[in-house]
Amino acid sequence: MSFWEARFLWEEPMLAAVLASAVLGYLGLFVVLRRITFTSAALSQVSGLGVALAFLMGSFAGVTPHTRTPLWLDPSLWALVFACGGAAAMSLPARSRRATPESVVALAYVGASSLVLLVLASPRMAVEAHEIGDLLFGDAVVVRRQDLWNLGAAALLVATVHGLLFRSFLFASFDSDAARVSGVPVRWMDLLLHLSLAVEVAAATRALGALPVFSFLVLPAGAALLLSERLATVLLLSVVIAVSCAAGGYALSWLLSLPTGPVMVVLGVGVWGLAGLKRLWETRGGLRW
Amino acid sequence: MELLALENVTIGYQRGRPLLPPVSFSVSRGDLVGILGPNGSGKSTFLKTLLGLLPPLQGKLRYASGRKPRLGYVAQDPRFDFAYPLSVLEVVLMGRVAELGLLRRPRKEDIAIAEQELGAVGLQALARKPFRSLSGGERQRVLVARALTGAPDLLVLDEPTSSMDVAAEHALLSLATALTAARGTAVVFVTHEISAAAEIARTVVLLDSARSYFAAGPVEELLTSASMSALFGNPVEVRHENGRVFVWLSASRGGSGGP
Repeated sequence: MSFWEARFLWEEPMLAAVLASAVLGYLGLFVVLRRITFTSAALSQVSGLGVALAFLMGSFAGVTPHTRTPLWLDPSLWALVFACGGAAAMSLPARSRRATPESVVALAYVGASSLVLLVLASPRMAVEAHEIGDLLFGDAVVVRRQDLWNLGAAALLVATVHGLLFRSFLFASFDSDAARVSGVPVRWMDLLLHLSLAVEVAAATRALGALPVFSFLVLPAGAALLLSERLATVLLLSVVIAVSCAAGGYALSWLLSLPTGPVMVVLGVGVWGLAGLKRLWETRGGLRW
Repeated sequence: MELLALENVTIGYQRGRPLLPPVSFSVSRGDLVGILGPNGSGKSTFLKTLLGLLPPLQGKLRYASGRKPRLGYVAQDPRFDFAYPLSVLEVVLMGRVAELGLLRRPRKEDIAIAEQELGAVGLQALARKPFRSLSGGERQRVLVARALTGAPDLLVLDEPTSSMDVAAEHALLSLATALTAARGTAVVFVTHEISAAAEIARTVVLLDSARSYFAAGPVEELLTSASMSALFGNPVEVRHENGRVFVWLSASRGGSGGP
C-alpha cells in the first residue's frame, strides 16, 4: 500500500501533528526569548502525572483504558488541571518564592517524572502500564479522535488569547518594569502566557509525545531567530518550520519505517543546524575553520 | 497641580530594614526634579517606590486625582535580551500601550506619534533598524522616545545620560526642560552629574541610605558645598554665579582653583 493509498491511516495523526506543531512553533518564540525552554519539558511531565493519577484513581473505581471513563476521571482533564497548576506556580516572579526559577522547574520535572514511573509501577496498573505509557506521552502515529478535538480547542484558545494580547505579552516579556509602569498587568500576562503554554503542552503531549512537543517549542523558533531580525518574519518562519518538520517527519517516518517522533525532532535539529550555518556565514563573511 | 505624593513613606525591600527615614515628597505638573546621591544610596529604589513598582514598607503613595497619572520610565542600564527581533519603531510603539489598551493594535496615527518622538530624540532615521544593532547611548534615547509616546504626566529617568556622549546628553537634558515647558510634563531624573542637576532641575532630592539621609528642596538652597561634601564624602565645591552653577571636586585640584 502506497503512502497516498494509506492516507485513511495517517490523515488524522498528520492533521494533529500539523495543528499542534503550528501552535507550538508560535508559542516557541516566547519560550525561547524568555528562556523558559525547560518549563515546557516540565509541563509535559506534570501533565503526564495528571494522566497517570487519573488512571490510578480509575483503577480504584474499576475503570480501565478499555471502558468508558466518567468525566471526573478523564485523563485529559487531569492533564490539563495539573499542567495549569504547574504553569501557575512556575509563572510566579522570583521574589514571590524563595527558590530560584530554574530550581522550581527542575523540581517539577524530576518530581513529576519520578511520580509517573512510580504510578506506572503500581501493581494496580501492571496490565495496562504499556498502553498507558503511550497514552501518557503519545507516539505521534496513532491519534484518538478526542485528542484531535482537544488539540483544536487548545489551538483556538491560544489563537484567541494571543491574537488579542500579543503586544502586551511581548512588552511584558521584553521590559517588564517599563510595561508595568505603562499599565500592563505584567503578572497576569505572565500567568496567561504560562497557562496558554500549559493548555497546548497538555493537549499536544498526548497526541505527539513529550519529545516532539519539547522540540517544536524550541527548535523552530531558535532557527527562525537565526534566520531573520524582523519579528513578523521570525513568527512566520517559526510556524512554517514547525509544520514542515511535523508533516515531513511524519511522511519520512512512514516511508522509511522509522519511529515518527524522533524523525520529526531530527528534522528540526537539521533545520536549526542549517540556520546556524547560514548565520555563521553571514556574520563571519564565510566559514573559517 | 499635584500629580502624586509620598506621604510619610518608608522605602526598602525588607520590612524592618528601611533604606531611608520616612519620606514625604510630592511631584506636580511641570516639576523638574534631580535626584543625587552616591552609589548604592537608594536612588533607584526611591524611583521604583515613586512609580508604584515597589510597595512602600509603611506610609502611602497617593495619586492626587484619585487615579494613577500616566507614567513614563527609563530604567538605569536596562539589560535587554538582544535575541528579541525588534525594530526601533516596534520598541517605541510599546509605549503606546496605555493609549491603545491591551487589545487594540497600533494604527497609522500611533506610528506617526512614535516617529515624531523618535525625531525628538534625534533618531527618526533609525526607525527601521534592529534595536539590538544600536549603541548603548542610542538605545537609551530610544527608550526615552518610548516613554514619551505614552504622553506621560510624569517622566522618570534613572541615570538617562550614563551611556551618552556629550552632545546626546545635552540634547536629552534640553528635551527634558522643553517637555516641562511645552507639555507640562513633570520630569524626575537621577544623575551623578551635580552640574547637570544644578543646570536644569528646579528641585533636588539628596539621599544616602548609609546615613539614613533624605532631603528635598530648591536647587539654590540644597546644592551647597557643605551638603554636597557631606553627601559624597569628599570636599565638593559648588558656586552659583549669574544663574549658572559650577561644581568641582576640590581635593582633585589641591583644594583650590575654579571650575
